[in-house]
Amino acid sequence: MTLLASAANEPEPFHPPSLADFFPQVFLFAEPTIPWFEDDSPIFGINRIMLVRFIAAIALILIFVLGTRKMRLIPTRGQSLIEMGLGFVRDGIAYDLLGEKDGKRFLPLLTTIFFMVLAMNLTGVIPFLNIAGTSVIGVPLVLAIVSYLAFIYAGVKKHPGAFFRNSLAPAGVPWFLYIIVTPLEFISTFLLRPITLTLRLMMNLLVGHLMLVLFFAATHFFLFSLGGGFIALGAGTLVFGFAFTVFELLVCVLQAYVFAILTAVYIQLALAEEH
Amino acid sequence: MDNATTILAEINGNIGTVGYGLAAIGPAIGVGIVVGKTIEGVARQPELQGRLTVLMFIGIAFTEALAFIGIATFFFMV
Amino acid sequence: MLTTALRMAEEGEQPNPLLPAFYDILWSSVIFVVLLLIFWKVVLPRVQALLDERAAAIEGGIKKAEEAQAEAAAALESYNTQLAEARAEASSIKEKARADAAKIEADLKARATEDAERITAQAQQRIEQERQAAFSSLKSEVGTLALDLSEKVVGESMDDSRSAAIVDRFLADLEREGVSR
Repeated sequence: MTLLASAANEPEPFHPPSLADFFPQVFLFAEPTIPWFEDDSPIFGINRIMLVRFIAAIALILIFVLGTRKMRLIPTRGQSLIEMGLGFVRDGIAYDLLGEKDGKRFLPLLTTIFFMVLAMNLTGVIPFLNIAGTSVIGVPLVLAIVSYLAFIYAGVKKHPGAFFRNSLAPAGVPWFLYIIVTPLEFISTFLLRPITLTLRLMMNLLVGHLMLVLFFAATHFFLFSLGGGFIALGAGTLVFGFAFTVFELLVCVLQAYVFAILTAVYIQLALAEEH
Repeated sequence: MDNATTILAEINGNIGTVGYGLAAIGPAIGVGIVVGKTIEGVARQPELQGRLTVLMFIGIAFTEALAFIGIATFFFMV
Repeated sequence: MLTTALRMAEEGEQPNPLLPAFYDILWSSVIFVVLLLIFWKVVLPRVQALLDERAAAIEGGIKKAEEAQAEAAAALESYNTQLAEARAEASSIKEKARADAAKIEADLKARATEDAERITAQAQQRIEQERQAAFSSLKSEVGTLALDLSEKVVGESMDDSRSAAIVDRFLADLEREGVSR
């Protein structure tokens, strides 16, 4: 890539994707800052990614609030689509893993997580938005913390006092093994779960964005900066970029599903811990 | 060959990339095994497909996490 | 990743994607809370209400169908009982008619027998009476004739008392002879 970039001293050099894409200029509310935190980080700063997130959230609110306003017994086409989405989370994730009673308790949480992640993932492939709201660590981190608090809450509520003992020192293990098992359990349950939730979502979308940018930037570079025989190569990267867009769509839905279902699994494990 | 240290090929970049490539092998095999076993299971008992698919995605999610930790190490180790 | 790393190295500034900016966390939390509240308080209750309504409608439909079925069953039952009643009535009427017929027949037979007996009795009585009448008239005539005859034969008259005695004796002889004969 460096080779290409340095070789192209013609009109436009190659623009490789960069992590700076995920940290655009704060253009609104840059003023009130926290002097002692991260080099004067603005408190209410809004940059392009925040804007994309707001658009996704507003779209979500409009779709669901307007779509469920006049619900009919015999659904219209749009209503059955909304019902299908909500029914997928309800039956496929909440009731399937948690059962009807507990599923109902955690349904608002799981529904919110699923649709929030889905909407913010999809902004990554929507033209002109072109960046996933979940590809910056804020949303994945907040949602992972919510999921973390949810399963700890579920466990403590179900087995008051015994939850931490149960999850750190599982029964049926010889006492001397606790020296190894307890730290492992602590790391896997209380450290790795939120970290993997955050990283999985964020890295999937971040890498997806980098790949898409790579393909389309390369296409642009081949077609308009190099031209000639490179046009064929540009066509190839364009096809790849298109295929990758489709793949990204799949990843968007899959990651939303995985995030919601893992939250449900963690809650289920916390509820079921019966040692 | 007058100069013994002629550079025949040059690679520049970060060795961390290679590290990530190595780190991705394990999860790749793991995901392959998970999906393959799920397909076997579905072939044996097609009526369990829904249940197995859910388990497959959970399994993939756990296995795949390692690859993403691998990517992330670049940012906090370098 | 390679290019990114290179660019970072070249430019010297490294935004670390793992370190969240404060506003990032803030706005993410705000969006999450707003969405959670909307799903929790607005969307899901509406959908739940709709599902309940739909379940009620389906249940109502089932109940209505059950009611209709029960009604139909009741109607069938009542028809059946009515039919059975009618049948029983018909058979009882038939039975009664048969009994009546038998009674009438018996009555008629009895009356006929009675009539026949009475007629027979009357006839016998009359025959007896005729016989008696014939017998007594014959008796007196035969006596007179015999007396006339014997008067003529004997040529002497006899008083009535004696003649009567003679006639009686004669007749008794006759009868005795008739009996012995």
